[in-house]
Amino acid sequence: MDIAGHLLVVFISIALVNNLVLTKFLGICPYLGVSRRVDMAFGMGCAVTFVITISGTMTWLINNLILQKIGMDYLKYIAFIMVIASMVQLVEMYVRKFFPSLYDSFGIFLPLIVTNCAILGTCLFIDLWGYGFLEAVVASFGAGLGFTLAICIMGGIRENLEWADIPQALRGAGITLITAAIMTLAFMGFSGMIKG
Amino acid sequence: MATGEKLELKQNQTPEPLLHFLRGLWEENAVFRQMLGMCPVLAVTAQLQPALTMGIATTFVLVCSNAVVSLIRNLIQGHLRILMFTLTIATFVTIADKLLQAFVPAMSEKLGPYVPLIIVNCLIIGRAEACGSRKPIITSLLDALGMGLGFTLGLCVLGTIRELLADGALFGISVLPEAFPKWNVMKLPAGAFLTLGILLGLSNHFLKKK
Repeated sequence: MDIAGHLLVVFISIALVNNLVLTKFLGICPYLGVSRRVDMAFGMGCAVTFVITISGTMTWLINNLILQKIGMDYLKYIAFIMVIASMVQLVEMYVRKFFPSLYDSFGIFLPLIVTNCAILGTCLFIDLWGYGFLEAVVASFGAGLGFTLAICIMGGIRENLEWADIPQALRGAGITLITAAIMTLAFMGFSGMIKG
Repeated sequence: MATGEKLELKQNQTPEPLLHFLRGLWEENAVFRQMLGMCPVLAVTAQLQPALTMGIATTFVLVCSNAVVSLIRNLIQGHLRILMFTLTIATFVTIADKLLQAFVPAMSEKLGPYVPLIIVNCLIIGRAEACGSRKPIITSLLDALGMGLGFTLGLCVLGTIRELLADGALFGISVLPEAFPKWNVMKLPAGAFLTLGILLGLSNHFLKKK
């Protein structure tokens, strides 16, 4: 029970309180780039959640069981990015085979998941916070869900913004960033939920 | 013949490498025009000093990796190139990270995981793909330098505005009178998004008129 409660805290903390996009500024590129429609945002969220969960787990194993044992800590970043790149390759092949239309609408953003800071960021934060194995798995899954949540909310807002009368200069990225600013203020309401 | 040569010289008054350098500074500025590498732009600009450090570190990695990519551009296989770029960049980021830890440990602590996150800065991979893998080394070097300085400039503009409004200070030294009301929101993530959004709007507004 104790462990389950602790894992729940880890999960909520990374999905809501320390939401990657809105408080740590990770994964901003797809957040601004692929959030024009809810269905695309959701597809992107799922792909990122999958890659984050697997690579968060794998990098924990590689870091703790191999690199730290043989004292080759300095290879950490290179090893992490290799794991992420190969996972993304896998997802790309899978999506191209089974969801060709989704593949076309993602375009360049699918291979760019490699350079999605949310994924490498999660792996680094897990390492920084010194999480154990179970915590690492739960945290990386929660990070993915938090990302999906943020990008889907943004997608919904932007679908409605299409009909709004926005000043010419702010159209596109400008208004999206200002919307994001208001969203982070809303998400700050969660910050009292967990101490420390 | 001689006049023809002269004419050609006149048309290309600015040599290509220099042109790349200047383009990176403003015309294709990473922060305001291309919107690349947004994560560090928003994350480390609450104060001017970390913003400047981050800009310099990014420029270092950008210049080194662009030069290396340019040198090995004929050896890279097409389908493996993104992986090769990423590995090159990761190597230089590791070097930059260790240097920061050794010489400015306090700043390295403050920037935390955002230093290793330079690896996934789309600006660097973008330049390797668009310039490093196509152009000879001199052009690549100057291109990377221009882009890096433009990026640093963007970071510093944001850092200046946010630190000035949040603390009334620059580089940690207060410059505004005591009576200045401190805008706490500028320290928060919301302040970062808001400042960048408004700056983009302003730059669109004034540049499109011309």
